[in-house]
Amino acid sequence: MTDAVLTFADIRQTFPAPGDGAPTRVLDGIDFAVGRGEFVAVIGPSGCGKSTLLQMAAGLLAPTGGEVRHRGRRIAGVNRAVGFVPQQAKLFPWKTLAENVELPLLLRGIGPAERRDRVGAALRAVGLDGFEGHYPGQLSGGMQKRGSIARTLIYEPDVILMDEPFGALDAQTRMVMQDDLQALSRAAGATIVFITHDITEAVVLADRVVVLSQRPSRVLADVAIDLPRPRDVFEPFRNPGFDAAYDAVWSRFRTQIGLPSRGPRVREPAP
Amino acid sequence: MTDLAPSTAAQAPAPRRTIRGYAARLVPLLPGLALIAFWQWASGRLVREVYVSKPTAVAARLYELFATGEIVPHLWTTAQELVLGYAIGVAGGVAAGYALGRSPRLARVFEPYVMAFYGVPKIALAPLFIIWFGIGPGSKIALSAIMVFFLVFYNVYTGVRAVDREIVDLTLVMGANQRQLTRHVYLPAAAPFVMLGMRLAIPYSVIGVIVGEFTSATQGLGLFIHVASSTYDPAGVFAGIAILLAFVLGAGFLAARLERRLLRWRTLSGVGPSEI
Ligand SMILES: Nc1ncnc2c1ncn2[C@@H]1O[C@H](COP(=O)(O)OP(=O)(O)OP(=O)(O)O)[C@@H](O)[C@H]1O
Ligand SMILES: [Mg+2]
Repeated sequence: MTDAVLTFADIRQTFPAPGDGAPTRVLDGIDFAVGRGEFVAVIGPSGCGKSTLLQMAAGLLAPTGGEVRHRGRRIAGVNRAVGFVPQQAKLFPWKTLAENVELPLLLRGIGPAERRDRVGAALRAVGLDGFEGHYPGQLSGGMQKRGSIARTLIYEPDVILMDEPFGALDAQTRMVMQDDLQALSRAAGATIVFITHDITEAVVLADRVVVLSQRPSRVLADVAIDLPRPRDVFEPFRNPGFDAAYDAVWSRFRTQIGLPSRGPRVREPAP
Repeated sequence: MTDLAPSTAAQAPAPRRTIRGYAARLVPLLPGLALIAFWQWASGRLVREVYVSKPTAVAARLYELFATGEIVPHLWTTAQELVLGYAIGVAGGVAAGYALGRSPRLARVFEPYVMAFYGVPKIALAPLFIIWFGIGPGSKIALSAIMVFFLVFYNVYTGVRAVDREIVDLTLVMGANQRQLTRHVYLPAAAPFVMLGMRLAIPYSVIGVIVGEFTSATQGLGLFIHVASSTYDPAGVFAGIAILLAFVLGAGFLAARLERRLLRWRTLSGVGPSEI
């Protein structure tokens, strides 16, 4: 634990209900830490508070109980040492791709020559060189997503927070992006917290998978994934040890889903 | 001559295309021309000319007004009132809309008042404004400014409030301070709404000024039209209206040009409203 970059310590969160209803307890004592250079995936049922946890790590929301620590210091106020990749790419529609990717450097007061070099390198790294002058509306969904990732990688944040970054992509693009992310994060030695619904994605990408329970949620399991790298994201089942790792996560996760009513449509997929 | 021929031939397609392009642009003029032709024909046949004048008479009157310089002082007065009223209204609307849009606390206090005044028919204020600001340009500027203000205010306020919260948060995490947030997020996000408000406000500024001049004035196009209509000079009325029309169209054209230039990203992305 001494090497922890990001620590969630007994996080509790209650949201007031609209009107006079009883407040919603969302997080109920979340404890886990993310080590330097570690890739941690967080999975949990919809609405269990995964996005809420990332908001706290970014300093955009103060937990009602407990604290998030970044390199030992309690986060109070916007945390500029992290990078945030949201589910939708959220590029600035009024800026060209190059201007989008350049913005964090501009905001941090980095000079024009260095900015130009780093924008060039960042766009090459995600395979978008040649599209500098395009506006986001002129790019495909996958390209926008790459842009969004480049915009985060470019300032080399201490921790990268990703909230279901590939959720909205088609299956092929998604696998390509997963492969790229694996390569980029290994090259950069980045520390990543990665939220996903997809167990395969979690297992194939992460060093550890944190499984959250239904609301009010707690950490149900914290599973280390010791598959050798680089991993094959295109045919995950070919990675030696994948099945066992998948089972370890699924056996904990299955207890949390498929429970809510609406009987006839719920079917348990075979692992 | 002979060696020029091939190059002329090679260039032929391009001019043809532009000619067709111009022709396409002229199509919207056809209904207007048809209306003018019908007006010319009907005047004196279906309706007595003393009621509706006729296009040739209006054109002659326009020429006369400019040739003798009779219209110039009126034009000058009205133009000044328009420009000032519009500018004050836009500046006030943008500033107030932006401030209330950015600050929920200010909005909580002032929004109900602004919305209440928004519902007041501003034209009803014309006589009051004459009392407060005199029969000179002041009252017309005030009337036009207040009409423009509400329109621009409402658009800008809505625009600033609609800024994507997630983009704001992202920008903060990327390292933006409040000033940078304004420059890189709020202003560009609000710009389409500012432009829309500015464009919609053009005719309102004209209405404000003309109503003011109708009510009471010593000079101005509104007064000119008023006098023309009370002295049975329909050609004069239509000439005055034609000048106003030209002004509104010209200003609208400039605004659309400015909008296209400033909001290039919207047209390029194909996400712009269809009318720009
Ligand atoms: N600002 C808020 N006010 C009130 N309730 C909120 C707020 N933000 C989140 N919640 C509630 O907290 C719960 C968790 O939300 P959160 O977005 O963190 O879920 P999630 O785990 O990311 O879900 P998903 O996987 O569907 O994205 C939800 O029940 C939501 O209604
Ligand atoms: Mg979420």
